Amino acid sequence: MRPDIVRVLQPIVIIAVSLVVVWLLLGGTQQFMNFLTLGAIYALIALGYTMVYGIIELINFAHGDLFMFGAFVAMWILTVPLGMTGAVDNPLQLTVILVVVMLPTMIVMGLLGTFIERFAYRPLRHAPRLAPLITAIGVSFILQNVIYSVFGPSPVNVPQVFPLTRFEFLGGRVSFLSLFMVAIAVFLMVLLQLFVGRTRLGRAMRSTAQDREAAELMGVDINQTIAITFFIAAALAGAGGTIQGLYFGSVQFNLGFFVGLKAFTAAVLGGIGNTTGAALGGFVIAFIEVFATQLGYSRWSEVAVFTVLILVLVFRPSGILGQQLGERA
Amino acid sequence: MKLWKLGALMGAAAILITACSSSATSAQSAAPASAAPASVAPGGSAAAGGSCTGTLTIGTEFPMSGGETANGEPAANGVKLLVDQVNKAGGVGGCQLQVNVQDDAVNGVHDPQQGAKNLQTLVADTSVVGVVGPYNSNVAKAEIPISNEAGLLMCSPANTGVGVTMPPEGDTYRTAHPDKIAYIRTATPDNIQGPSMADYMYNDLGVKSVYILDDTETFGVGVGDSFQQEFTKLGGTVVKRDSAPKSTSDYTPLFTAVAGQKPGGVYLAGTTPSGMGLALKQGRTVPGFETIPFGGPDGIADLIPAGGEGATLTVAGAAAHDVYGTLGAVHDIPNPQAFNDAYKAMFGKDPGAYSAPSYSCAQVIVAALKKAIEAGATDPAALREGVRANATNSANSFDTAMGTLSFDKYGDNTHPFISFYKTDMTTNPASWVFVKQQEFTDPNAP
Amino acid sequence: MTASAGAAGTRPQGFRGMRDRAGTLAASHRSITIIVGWIIVATALPLLMLVPPFSTFQTQSLWIDGFTNAGVFILLALGLNVVVGFAGLLDLGYAAFYAIGAYTYAFAASPTVPWISLHVPFWPMLLVGAAVAAMFGLLLGAPTLRLRGDYLAIVTLGFGEIVPAVFLNADKVTNGTNGIGGVYKPDLFGYQFTLGNPVPYYIAMVAIIAIVMILVYRLQDSRLGRAWMAVREDELAAASNGVNTVTTKLLAFALGASTAGLAGVFTASKLTFVSPDQFSFAVSFTILAMVVLGGMGNVWGVAVGAFLLYTIQSVLLKQLNPFFHTLNVPFLKDIDFVQYQFLLYGLALVLMMLLRPEGLFPSSRRRRELHTEVDEYVGDELGPDPSSSPMEQS
Repeated sequence: MRPDIVRVLQPIVIIAVSLVVVWLLLGGTQQFMNFLTLGAIYALIALGYTMVYGIIELINFAHGDLFMFGAFVAMWILTVPLGMTGAVDNPLQLTVILVVVMLPTMIVMGLLGTFIERFAYRPLRHAPRLAPLITAIGVSFILQNVIYSVFGPSPVNVPQVFPLTRFEFLGGRVSFLSLFMVAIAVFLMVLLQLFVGRTRLGRAMRSTAQDREAAELMGVDINQTIAITFFIAAALAGAGGTIQGLYFGSVQFNLGFFVGLKAFTAAVLGGIGNTTGAALGGFVIAFIEVFATQLGYSRWSEVAVFTVLILVLVFRPSGILGQQLGERA
Repeated sequence: MKLWKLGALMGAAAILITACSSSATSAQSAAPASAAPASVAPGGSAAAGGSCTGTLTIGTEFPMSGGETANGEPAANGVKLLVDQVNKAGGVGGCQLQVNVQDDAVNGVHDPQQGAKNLQTLVADTSVVGVVGPYNSNVAKAEIPISNEAGLLMCSPANTGVGVTMPPEGDTYRTAHPDKIAYIRTATPDNIQGPSMADYMYNDLGVKSVYILDDTETFGVGVGDSFQQEFTKLGGTVVKRDSAPKSTSDYTPLFTAVAGQKPGGVYLAGTTPSGMGLALKQGRTVPGFETIPFGGPDGIADLIPAGGEGATLTVAGAAAHDVYGTLGAVHDIPNPQAFNDAYKAMFGKDPGAYSAPSYSCAQVIVAALKKAIEAGATDPAALREGVRANATNSANSFDTAMGTLSFDKYGDNTHPFISFYKTDMTTNPASWVFVKQQEFTDPNAP
Repeated sequence: MTASAGAAGTRPQGFRGMRDRAGTLAASHRSITIIVGWIIVATALPLLMLVPPFSTFQTQSLWIDGFTNAGVFILLALGLNVVVGFAGLLDLGYAAFYAIGAYTYAFAASPTVPWISLHVPFWPMLLVGAAVAAMFGLLLGAPTLRLRGDYLAIVTLGFGEIVPAVFLNADKVTNGTNGIGGVYKPDLFGYQFTLGNPVPYYIAMVAIIAIVMILVYRLQDSRLGRAWMAVREDELAAASNGVNTVTTKLLAFALGASTAGLAGVFTASKLTFVSPDQFSFAVSFTILAMVVLGGMGNVWGVAVGAFLLYTIQSVLLKQLNPFFHTLNVPFLKDIDFVQYQFLLYGLALVLMMLLRPEGLFPSSRRRRELHTEVDEYVGDELGPDPSSSPMEQS
């Protein structure tokens, strides 16, 4: 009994303590909430990177653009079929709108992700490692250009459906919107953990990641498993995009590149291939950025992010939570 | 690799590439795409007052693809509009005009090397009598040495960097012909525009402490620096100076970090396309910034009503109240509506912030060309030199959509004006309203 | 053209007599072959541009100017090929060294540097730029020696982001976003290079590329070159066979970076201006795409890849509008291709990779691997086996 309690309590205590420390370092609730939202978005994208990398060893450079694409799909659903323009006050109605926007976005993005895998990556599964990397960047350009052609080069506004009501909390004024967004992100992350850890498909994914040939011999349908991984990764990017659009109120066609770069960094920082690590990495990157800004070094925040990354990798070459491996497994 | 195969591949590729780069010199406008456009009537001396037949070219050099299209396209359209009007009115001295559009964006970002290459292309095309562009000061710094050496006039509607023209830095770009400048600009330089808003915010709006955020780009940093200097000199406090690159997606931590110091105003040193519109939108949501005035340069005060694509008022939406902006041009021009209507009729949308300035640049080139033809210039080289000499002669003045322009020995506008605008949320759609205008003395006057 | 045959390193099988012997001769006198080959190519290209159809599109001097710019990318691709193609170390931030080379020359030869005003001649600065870049190559290489595969890639990516950011933010030293202008152009024995005449730059570029290419070939065939290959194929086996993997990898970084330093010095002097925005991730990635497209590990291949990709990006895609307009193709002439550059570039990358995953001109060794062991797992050209990074659940 006791070891079980320790195992459950230990991470909770660690998380709680680090959150308090972060809260203190960031000088209070206001900046803390900025950190949480940014971290949640990075984490959702980093999860996609890490899943794809874990299963086919591909740095999917198009993943950031899937996130951007998702933000546009959500914006489109919100404005065109739903015809939303202003804030909605009824909480029930809001929830319905959110579901109606987020679910289809995730499904559309998931399908797009599988589609890309099928036509741009699968044919290259036995090609030299760098070939799919280059197609990934090519796909990234294509996704950007599709959005660019339809919506133009300028930022496009997303209707502010969530009222900007705030409440006083620990000396800051917190908007319900940001709390809500963080809650959704955490919910999705937990769901993913359960899926990968507890379901049959999740087990197939893990075994494919471990050893593709062996998994195949054990009856795992490799193609299907990889397709599902892409579906989930892209769906999470779509969810991230929805949150981005609703929270920041505008989306732009080139939004994905830098956010994607940072999320990728987050995935590596956490230990690529490790889903918990990716989520952790997302929050760490967000913390570094917001903390640098808080200290007045906003222009150096990018340098800080990458310096921390290099330092972490020098001392822990497989990332914070990555498995320490021998020279060649 | 087998030798013949390699050769064949290279050959095929070379043919493909050259085939596709055909007629780099031909126009994109409706002018007939003939291979050799420049043909000025031979023996021009015979025709009284000089005359010209054939087609001459005005080049444009802007970022035209990717995220910077919003900067370049409306500017290039300004030139297309003027060329269209001139051609419909019978051309210049008998010559028709066409536009050669060059794009200096590579992978969607302005690139000095591509700009230099484009300018070399325009220099090589003998029918080009003048170039309107570029948009970015960094691109200008790679291009001015080329245009200076070749004696091809460039007129930038957008460059405001102090060092682009003014010594000592400006001299380093004109080493080939220090006495024959070939670059002029219509925009008021940063060292006038920044301080003018500092004065306005400190004296007229009563803002005594300010937060400055720049976009890390040449324009933003330059105008931010000069704003900061002047504001401090006036006795105001700059509570913090931050920089946030265009790639920033979340500006709220920046504003949150400075909220505790309770600034009385914010100066957004940069442009809406480089993220300052988003900064305005997101900054307003941070407690402490809901109502205080925001100021900005012409990259903010684009004068486009809400709804215009990429306009400040569109991007910032409801957050755009109490925003003040400067524009480096005179407000009282004869008929602003005429330009807007003509532009809208041709392109189906409202003009951008740099449409009228580049239209004016093209007007300067056309007027200088007319003078050159009247003076008897006939061959392409003489026309090019005539345009350069007439446009940069400070004794000449030009009537343009931005008012009367003339250029001093470094190519800066001799009568820089600053006009002040503020946002008005009560109109439908929200729009910019004129506040006042102010004339400054020539920054390069002895 | 004999040069290409020799360069590819294989004797054309099925061809008899002269051709075969020429191939052998070329392979055994590679330096001479490269010099002769380059002289032929470098004279033939501009002359070819005097002949229709080339001459009707663009003047010869513009072509030469374009070739010179392409030459910068050829240099960069040759250098990155040492790191990625020879030693198998994925570098996603290669533009950083390009930036370092360019700024090194700008500091030494511009009147507008905020803290110093020097005019060091161009030619020695080529070597200094290469040396400084090599030093930073070591600096980047040293902490990353323990890293494998894609962890290395992300660190180099980070380095590639940090370097331009430092040039941007350290404005007291670098003039920040304003960049350093008025950089002196080269001169040679009193002859001053000018912007209006691209020929001297072109000749200089051809000479630099020829020298770099000879050096790269010599390296490839040297003990070090074999060590790189061994490390690329199997680091553990290489180490147990007595290869000093630390020195081997560090030298790959340093020598690869030095070429970028050369390219940087050249660009700074030709453009007479450097600014941080010229060295973004897009540049790093473009060079990588050139190497992969040309055929990793194959020196002539990556050179051709760089040439093709530069021409596609900076000439072909920019000229699609006038092209279709001139041809008067009914539907196509109404499309504004400037707006679709990205899309076409992306499609080109995807299609080229799908059609020729090993690049246009795969190195002979790579080709052999790919075509004999196709049933086995051959995707592992960089870094560890896929099973070494399992997706885990914790």
